[in-house]
Formats: sequence, C-alpha cells, structure tokens
Amino acid sequence: MTILLALLLLLTAAAGAGIVLSRDPRRQILAIAGNGLALTLLFSALQAPDVAFSELAVGTAALPLLFLVALVSVRTDRKSDL
Amino acid sequence: MNRIARLTLFAVSMLVLTAATIVVATHMPTFGSHPLPYGDAVNSLVPPARHISNMVSAVNFDVRGLDTLGEEFMLVCAVTGTVVLLRGTRGEQLTSRPAGMHGRLNAPRSDAQVLTGRLLGPLILLFGLYVVVHATVTPGGGFQGGVIIGSGLLLLYLCEEYRTWRWFMRSRWLNACEGGGALVFVLAGLAPMCQGAHFLQNVMPLGEFRDLLSGGLMQIVNAGVACAVLGGFALVFLEFLEETREPRDEA
Repeated sequence: MTILLALLLLLTAAAGAGIVLSRDPRRQILAIAGNGLALTLLFSALQAPDVAFSELAVGTAALPLLFLVALVSVRTDRKSDL
Repeated sequence: MNRIARLTLFAVSMLVLTAATIVVATHMPTFGSHPLPYGDAVNSLVPPARHISNMVSAVNFDVRGLDTLGEEFMLVCAVTGTVVLLRGTRGEQLTSRPAGMHGRLNAPRSDAQVLTGRLLGPLILLFGLYVVVHATVTPGGGFQGGVIIGSGLLLLYLCEEYRTWRWFMRSRWLNACEGGGALVFVLAGLAPMCQGAHFLQNVMPLGEFRDLLSGGLMQIVNAGVACAVLGGFALVFLEFLEETREPRDEA
C-alpha cells in the first residue's frame, strides 16, 4: 500500500466521520458530497475508473441535490404550518 | 427481559462476534494481493472472444447481462415509483408549465454563473456522450455516461433560469428515453432468440479489437442502458426540482 492510498483511506474515513459529526442537515448534505469526492479520489487511485465515474456523478451531484430538495420541501411545509 | 439477562446476552454475543471478527480479519487476503480467479479468467478469455478492451462493460453487458437487465428494471421501477409518488399530489398536467413558489423568487443568475455554466455544460454533455459511445474501448459505459449527462443537465439548471431549464427538459421525451431504453435492452435480449440462439447471446458481428463499434450486441445493450439511465436521472431531477415550485393559482 503506497502513501497515497493510505492518505486517501484516511481522508475517506475523516470525511465519513465528518458526515456523522455534523449536526446541521444542510452541512451534512455538503459533507456527503465531500465524502463522495474523497471516495472518487480513492477509487481513481485504486485504478477503478468505472466506479469513480459513477461515484463522482451520483455521490457528489445527484444524491446531495435530491437531499437538498427534500430538505427545502420540509422547511417550506413547516413554515406554512405556523 | 430484565437488565441482567440483557447484559448477559450482550456480553455473550459480543464475545462470539469479536472472536469471529478477529478470525475473519486475520484470514483475509492482504491488501492488494492477487488471488482473483474470476478477474483473471475474464481478462484472458473476453478480449479474444468478444474483441473488446473494457472488461467492466464485458461483464456487465455480456457475461452477466441478465443481472444487468434485472438492475435496469430495478432502476426503472425506482424512478417510476418516485415520479408517481411526486406527481400524485401535483398531477401530471401541472408539470407542463413552470411556476414559482409562493414567496420564493426565481433567483436571477449572475453573469459569471451563466458564462461558466454555458461553457462547461455542453462540454460535460459531450463528455458524457463520449463515455457512452466508448463503452467497449475505454473505462465507462452506458450507466456512467448516462449519469454524467444527467449531472450536466443539473449544471444547466444552475446556470439557466428555472423556466428556461424547464422549457428544454420535456417530460415526455424523458419518459420515452427511460422506458425506451429498457425496452431496447429487452429487445436486444429477445432478438437473438428469433434466430434460435439463447437470450442475450452475442450473435452480432463482433468488429475489430479496440474499435469503437466492437462488441456486437453489447453496443445495443449499452445504448439502451445509457438512454434509460439518462432519462431516469433527468426525470428524478425534474420531479424533485418541480417539488420546490408551486403552480401560481394555488400559491
């Protein structure tokens, strides 16, 4: 295992811990995107470009967007109740 | 169950699980070691048998094409379910006209944002198309290319106003793209049976090794997957973003 891989594994672990430790949902979503980016780098370093492509598009763009939209809808519903 | 019994159960199960974890962890192959019989078999058998150089595509679209067909329909079902659920409260008609959310403006985009998006957006779409058509030659394929194009469409949303984006994201085209892609996949599986071959058997001419059109039937399957994934992701984006709007007359 090279230093690059070790660093990327640590980065992924740190990014994953970041998701769990952030309490504000909006920050959590951005942390998920960050974790997706870390995973993308890890997959590229492990020579799995197919998985890296999918992770980049799904993990850093599609998934955070869907969560953000869900969050927006929840917030507006709450406001209309008040 | 009282406290002591629960703690005893916890202790016993922890003991068993910890011991089992240690046994498994010490017997795992080391990181990066290479006892990979299936990978080696695919790497040695597929290039002469199918004339293609991207083994991931070969596995997905040919070696275990039937699994991919199942995954394809899982995706179609998931997208259909989401769309039905979201349109259920809104109605299908409403999605044909863009509207504003009460108290939320259609945020104007800054010039820099528009410029960046208009420069990068088409390039990303083109790159997605490149990844799709080079499925059998270089890393990537229908799924990867499809989601790249889907993300490119999102970038266009970020740089254009919602109305403009809504104008070129035609729901019917996306529906047709998603369902049509899955249909193409099924037809590509059934067509060889008309010739007396097996389901999804690669009966088409295989082309030259490392050629854009190599792989025979995989090309058609790949195109179907790309269409279905692109349509599915775009539809989900569209329906979710529509969820942040409300029709004028109701607001």
